Amino acid sequence: MNDILARIALCVESGKTDKASPYPPGMKGQDGADEITKLAIEEGLGPARILDEALIPAMAAVGERFSRKEIYVPQMLMAAKAMNSSMKHLKPFFQSGETKRKGKFIIGTVSGDLHDIGKNLVAMMIEGGGWEIIDLGVDVSADKFLRAIEGNPGAFVGLSALLTTTMENMKKTVAVLKEKHPGIRILVGGAPVTREYCDKIGADFYSPDPQGAVNYLKQFAV
Amino acid sequence: MMNTFQYDFSELDVDGERIGRLLGYGEGYQADDFSGLIRELVGNVAPVCSAKAEYRIYPVEEWKNAGKSVTIHGIDFSLKNVVFAQVRKAESFALFICTAGPEPEKLCRKAMEDGDPLASYIYDMIGSEIAERASRLVLLEVRKAAEISGLRVTNRYSPGYCGWDVSEQHKLFELMPGNSCGVSLNASALMNPEKSVSGLIGIGADVNFDPYPCSSCRRTDCLYRMTQERNNVT
Ligand code: B12
Repeated sequence: MNDILARIALCVESGKTDKASPYPPGMKGQDGADEITKLAIEEGLGPARILDEALIPAMAAVGERFSRKEIYVPQMLMAAKAMNSSMKHLKPFFQSGETKRKGKFIIGTVSGDLHDIGKNLVAMMIEGGGWEIIDLGVDVSADKFLRAIEGNPGAFVGLSALLTTTMENMKKTVAVLKEKHPGIRILVGGAPVTREYCDKIGADFYSPDPQGAVNYLKQFAV
Repeated sequence: MMNTFQYDFSELDVDGERIGRLLGYGEGYQADDFSGLIRELVGNVAPVCSAKAEYRIYPVEEWKNAGKSVTIHGIDFSLKNVVFAQVRKAESFALFICTAGPEPEKLCRKAMEDGDPLASYIYDMIGSEIAERASRLVLLEVRKAAEISGLRVTNRYSPGYCGWDVSEQHKLFELMPGNSCGVSLNASALMNPEKSVSGLIGIGADVNFDPYPCSSCRRTDCLYRMTQERNNVT
């Protein structure tokens, strides 16, 4: 692998955001994902290569290590932060259309529910998989999801819920979205949600953790 | 009878190690690279935190063995097997609501907006720890008051745990109108602020405190299993 790309990947995997960041202690004072990505672009390494050969594999490795319980949420979030600091240099290329992402992922916590943190983790990891995230926030009505789908044809949808009661709203949301857009793929998750419940309400995929969703989405990447 | 409390942050005894365990490390958590950050963020929450609690005592009106329910002030609480069995000998109940207040959530949201997901997550867990600690203090208060009358208390039980339906919170809130904690319940039985806990504690001469409440639950992935086991007040 190209040396600069390898260094970006290492920074992301280790959670090294920028030079000023004291974390991880072993990389104190060294350049981080921020500086090295900037350098990579100046040196003419295209944003697509940075995304495909550094960020996505690094975040995938982080997700796998998290699933195997070799690292914990804090390390995963430091990696996500480092990825963000790299991604910020790629965003202008995404916006101009010069570089394409894997697809679009609309995510939100269902209506009646305000639980944010689980959904945020999932959004970050899927973004690390190279997807564009459209985060609708919390207490999102079926209507709001519908409008987002209409504005982003071909997008995938992720629904999160905290309680068994708000899980009922998940069921209603799936029904509304599937009725209008039978082909749409809906991923569900949250503390009380199970695979059986996902099947019962006609959603397409359930994962107890973000990495499962990232892996599932891979097959649909453009 | 109505009892309200506003807690000083120091009374809550918020503990970095427990927060570490909540962060997903489980029982094996030991101080690591993030311990300093946890301490720093706890320090940010401390001066702004407004944890509150309230409990109200209601006598038991009727037990219904068939439906595993109890009537309090004309309202039937369908407790289901586990909770029913644990509180069956209670003569009265302390219904309670407690909250960490809105501040931890605000700090959590702000950190996310500032691009610091780890700080955001840790604030979230600090909020959970505060709510949990406040509910422990409620138990201690109720126990203290009960002991004066020579009575004992059960564990605290919350709708949504141990098979007791989460929507039963509507009944609980009905018996705590205008609660002084400023906690509201929406139609889907979600409390706002999010870092809040509702529940009941049984009081009576013959009730028992179960030092191993988790042993009767099948859920293995509950983060609380890890924290609560050490939280016990025996
Ligand atoms: C910490 C905690 C609390 C804290 C904080 C709550 C909060 N909402 O912030 C406190 C102590 C305040 C609390 C209170 C209550 N709690 Co509570 N709590 C928990 C606990 C232990 C962890 C929740 C958490 O923050 N996890 C960490 C985050 C990051 O995980 P997450 O949100 O689940 O998200 C992850 C996955 O689910 C997944 N995911 C999430 N969304 C999505 C979406 C997609 C598309 C995908 C693929 C994946 C995915 O990926 C995320 C990252 O790994 C859970 C049990 C558990 N193990 O989950 C119970 C739990 C959520 N609580 C529960 C209940 C019942 C309550 C109360 C109603 C109790 C009461 N009567 O007071 C209240 C409700 C509070 C309210 N506001 O209404 C129940 C809910 C189930 C039910 N019966 O409805 C649970 C599941 C416990 C149980 N009984 O098994 N709780």
